[in-house]
Amino acid sequence: MRVRLPGLYIALGLVLAGLIHVIAVLTLPLLAPRDAHARLAALGPANTMIQLPAGTPGRQVMPMMAPDVRYAVCRFDLSNGPVRLRALIPNDLWLIGFYTPLGENFYAVIGADMKRPEVDLIIAAKDQSVAEVGVDSTEAFDNVVVVSSPVTEGIALIRAPLAGPSRSAEAERALKATYCGPHASRTIPSGS
Amino acid sequence: MPVTGTATRSSLWREDGSTSMRALGYFIGAFAMALILGIGSAWYMIERGSILTTTRIGPWKSWLSEGNPNTDPYTRAHLARSGRLPLTSTAARYFVANTDSGGSSLSAACEYSIVGAPLNARWWSIALYNESGSLIANLSKRYSFNSEEAIRRADGSFHINLSHTARPENWLPSGKDPGRRLTLVLRVYGARDTDISGSGQIPPESLPTIERIRCE
Repeated sequence: MRVRLPGLYIALGLVLAGLIHVIAVLTLPLLAPRDAHARLAALGPANTMIQLPAGTPGRQVMPMMAPDVRYAVCRFDLSNGPVRLRALIPNDLWLIGFYTPLGENFYAVIGADMKRPEVDLIIAAKDQSVAEVGVDSTEAFDNVVVVSSPVTEGIALIRAPLAGPSRSAEAERALKATYCGPHASRTIPSGS
Repeated sequence: MPVTGTATRSSLWREDGSTSMRALGYFIGAFAMALILGIGSAWYMIERGSILTTTRIGPWKSWLSEGNPNTDPYTRAHLARSGRLPLTSTAARYFVANTDSGGSSLSAACEYSIVGAPLNARWWSIALYNESGSLIANLSKRYSFNSEEAIRRADGSFHINLSHTARPENWLPSGKDPGRRLTLVLRVYGARDTDISGSGQIPPESLPTIERIRCE
């Protein structure tokens, strides 16, 4: 009995180790201070399209960004209503990913799957209705895709992979023409 | 022998004063072991991955459900720690290599030949980083080769020469610091082969090999 006592402590240690393991794995995502959302929040305000500088040594917003992809990011905040994202994609390589602050990619627009080059999206929280906005322009509304976001604050990231050498100016121009902002149709007078 | 062993131990246990001390010692020991084991195993499975979360093909490692909202806690933690925003496997696949095909760590002191067949995808790119995920400064400002710019041989294959001194064909410079550890990232956008769930499939044999040529 007494001889078995250290064995009991080993068993106790193992159970405790398992517990600590589970707690560490579950809390780590919440404790990571330099997650993507925190890095992007430092760049500028929410609900604005921000072009990320091309990755060069010592100047990368996120680690392991592709040096041959140009990026634009919109940190969306739906607390004041849905957010509109518009882009004219110049080639089928473009990818638009929608993320939670933890980096979960809950929706993606794949350029090659698009029938038209115009991307027009409304990002709305699960409890936000977008049916009532833009009722006066139903024909224009047909092409709009509503992205249902599981989070109030998140990230939309446009990737423009370079279609060849010395194509970066072209990609940067196209990214500059993209738009992200509050979807405030209700303030626009109808018929205008 | 076992008899004397038991005798010694029980005689120690009978000393009342040291019993509680010993119990305390065991308790602290058990607690310390639990901390080291618990945190160590969590760190290892988050940082390095395990059979549950990653697939290994030669030198390449890929987190299977990275970025997926329904992913497992290990992948979720790995992603949050990395600070990256990857696409899910239906849009892109990422393969990371820290070693050559022989299993030795990639080092800037060595020269490597990365050889691959064309990948069946819309776009792919092989980029070089240091250990912390930063690009490596070099005069030719060359940090990667992608499907649009890598020079191919007559049979369609590409050969990328990873070296700190200039090399012909596709030269990927590894910088001036020979002590630096290197990481290669292969990103594949729009893989044309998909499985039933739409995840991009890259046949293992089509992933590039990383052969060490020489070291200094």
